[in-house]
Amino acid sequence: MKLAHLALLVPLLGLAELAGHLYFSRRAPRPEEWGATRAAVEAARQPGDVVVVSPLWAEPLARWQLGPTLFSLREVARPDVTRYPRAIELSALGAEDPELAGWPVRRETKVGRIVVRSRDNPAPPHVTYDFVDRLRPASAAVTVAKGEARTPCAWVEGLPVETQGLFGAAAWPSARFRCDGEGPYVFAGVTIIDDERDRPRRCIWSHPPAGGGELVTRFASVPLGKVLRGHTGVGHLIERDRAGAPITLRVLVAGEEVGRAVHADGDGWKPFELALAGHAGTTADVEFRASAPDAHSRHLCFEADSR
Amino acid sequence: MTAPRRSLGWRDHAFGLALGVAYVAVLLRTVRGLGYARDEGFYVRAAESYARWFELLARDRHAAMQRSAVDAAWAVNHEHPALLKSLFALSWLAHKKLHLFVDEGTSFRFGGMIFGGLTLWLLYAWGTQARSRAAGLAAALAYATMPRVFYHAHLDCFDAPMAAMWALTAYAYWRSRSGGLGWALATGVVFGLALDTKHNAWFLPPALVLHALLARGGGLRRDLQVGRVRVPLSLVAMATVGPAVFFALWPWLWFDTGARLVGWAQFHLNHEYYNMVFLGVTYWKPPFPRAYAPFMTLATVPTVTLVLFAVGALGWAFARVRAWRAGPARGPRDLGHTELLWAIGLFVQYAPWLSSSTPIFGGTKHWMGAYPFLCLFAGLGFERALAAIESVVSARVPRPLVGGLVGASVLAAPLAETAHAHPWGLSSYTPLVGGAPGAASLGLNRQFWGFTTGAVAGWLNDHVPRSGGQVYVHDTAWDSWDVLRRDGRLAPWVQPAVSPAPSTFALYHHEPHMEGVEYQIWVAYGTASPAYVGSYDGVPIVYVYEKPPR
Repeated sequence: MKLAHLALLVPLLGLAELAGHLYFSRRAPRPEEWGATRAAVEAARQPGDVVVVSPLWAEPLARWQLGPTLFSLREVARPDVTRYPRAIELSALGAEDPELAGWPVRRETKVGRIVVRSRDNPAPPHVTYDFVDRLRPASAAVTVAKGEARTPCAWVEGLPVETQGLFGAAAWPSARFRCDGEGPYVFAGVTIIDDERDRPRRCIWSHPPAGGGELVTRFASVPLGKVLRGHTGVGHLIERDRAGAPITLRVLVAGEEVGRAVHADGDGWKPFELALAGHAGTTADVEFRASAPDAHSRHLCFEADSR
Repeated sequence: MTAPRRSLGWRDHAFGLALGVAYVAVLLRTVRGLGYARDEGFYVRAAESYARWFELLARDRHAAMQRSAVDAAWAVNHEHPALLKSLFALSWLAHKKLHLFVDEGTSFRFGGMIFGGLTLWLLYAWGTQARSRAAGLAAALAYATMPRVFYHAHLDCFDAPMAAMWALTAYAYWRSRSGGLGWALATGVVFGLALDTKHNAWFLPPALVLHALLARGGGLRRDLQVGRVRVPLSLVAMATVGPAVFFALWPWLWFDTGARLVGWAQFHLNHEYYNMVFLGVTYWKPPFPRAYAPFMTLATVPTVTLVLFAVGALGWAFARVRAWRAGPARGPRDLGHTELLWAIGLFVQYAPWLSSSTPIFGGTKHWMGAYPFLCLFAGLGFERALAAIESVVSARVPRPLVGGLVGASVLAAPLAETAHAHPWGLSSYTPLVGGAPGAASLGLNRQFWGFTTGAVAGWLNDHVPRSGGQVYVHDTAWDSWDVLRRDGRLAPWVQPAVSPAPSTFALYHHEPHMEGVEYQIWVAYGTASPAYVGSYDGVPIVYVYEKPPR
């Protein structure tokens, strides 16, 4: 073949690129295709299941089309998938959620270009208590502890939600334990932070007070499993400069410290697990005590459950 | 080896002009689909301020020249020079009197659009003059059908104009190398205009000096030995006429000149870092990935254009090596050292990203000045490929038919990609990375500047109640939102809100580092389900949330 013949590849390549453009621009499911999976998802879903989308970048389309019943705030901003007995995975473009890699597929149906998979958690835990769900006056109380002094924080509902936009802290929820006498950011309330992968994480804002005090969030009569398991975080944009002081979260069960989680900037959404030893299987009060040597911008947010 | 310069006839200029006019017509035709980018809003505000000064100048020249008047008008956005914003202002003033455009926003943008047309004219002319009409036309069309270029060419911003001015200065310098005072002076004037366009012009003197040195080749040593280095007149003009033009057209520099020049330079030399995601990692401080510029070029410039560029550039490079081995050239010489100039023009624009401390937040627009040179090489590549194909195709097939078919085959994909990308512009990626879905999976940026509000304006007009609703504007600048409203693209009852909490609707322009803002909206609204999502090829780009009734 003469070298000149190679030049024929140029127009062929141009046509191949055109074909590639037409293929790739039509390859991903359109919004209404995500909506069309509703019946299959509802048929597969059982109480307590979580619905996940793969690839993750397509999730907003599914949230839009399938609505808050299938994509509640609580599930979308979950701490991880380990607490769920089953997952319904909506998969497009051959993607799979890496968190579900070890979960066997029980059933799989195809709706257009989207695969609806039911997957079982190979080791489903029995969660006895979710602390984030229970941050209410009926089950929780919050105080600021400084030395021997204890100042209660009042549960207030209907406050204006505070949002600071980009580079600001996570939103301050409308209902929160407000700690008068401290900075307005010292409170306990359920919010959502962005983790180091920009994922949403629902958690209890627990900004320690200044002056070396502790913000104490106490849950009464908690039915305990074998461990306390949870995560700490600060919000990625807040901690990525790694300029803040470490934050300590002490965990006490029936007045006894069972462990602590120390969160340093850059840790991201950091898991912890504390064995309950003699407290396992009992019902007891549980305290989370947040403190930092320098409380500036220490927007600690934690979640925990017992299982 | 390179051929000497061809002369351009009036027909060539008429054709080049027609190309440019047609391109501007397409930009005008498609502009209303495009929302306003953050920076556009800032430049509109600056242009309005400068327009007031132009009106004062027309009314009372003495008063306009007073420092108080100059500073009052030109202090706005003084971190960027004045030429483009002055053109935006003049275009807007003309529109106010003559109603030339469909809306005010377009009247500002027109000042930028003409540079897109100018670039096509220039590329056609330069490619034709340096090589052939086929090369010139291929270069111009390759530029016109780059999706990112097409997006930027619509805007009242500086990047597409800067690409034009960079190439125009290089062209004037190239023409001046054939001798004569006219083009040398023109080089100085155009360089002054380039300086007054954007600071990218700072790279022109080193680029052209480098070219002059390399073009002199062995003669430079002889010059040094005899102590008589001849400096091209064009470079002298750049050093003298250029700064004078720059100074004359930027009134902000007329007072306190030294300090203001230093302030301008300092702003750009110490520019703050913004966030940009690349392959799933958001970069906001050094070190930045050196692979960013080459990778993003591969991912956003149509592949066939890059292949034509490679054919043209490598063909030239091999020819240079062969010529060097063969010894001193016989026959006609290319006084302009044309391809060397194109190569330097291309390299110098990419060179800042050889450093890992150069920010990447501007995406592809910061090296857009390289693309005219890339396209000139692509034109050269097209010419070579066409010649090769003609040599193996039967002589019975009419040559115009061969040329037309080859041209159509290399233009089809870039044209389709560019047309399809509108009005999403910055969300578009080539098939090489799997298009927009592939780019999303790779973790590449889907947008910046908050311009995609334009894509959901119609939805907002339809769904925000006429009794009034506040929309959190997220990444759309206040001034950009205001232009949408003035254009009538946002209904008067769609009011902006600066924070999610008090709003009843909220926009979220997806960028990974901004996800925290989306979660603030979730907490404020109590839902993670958008009411609408603007998507491109199945990839969510801009989300609209509606606060559920409580």
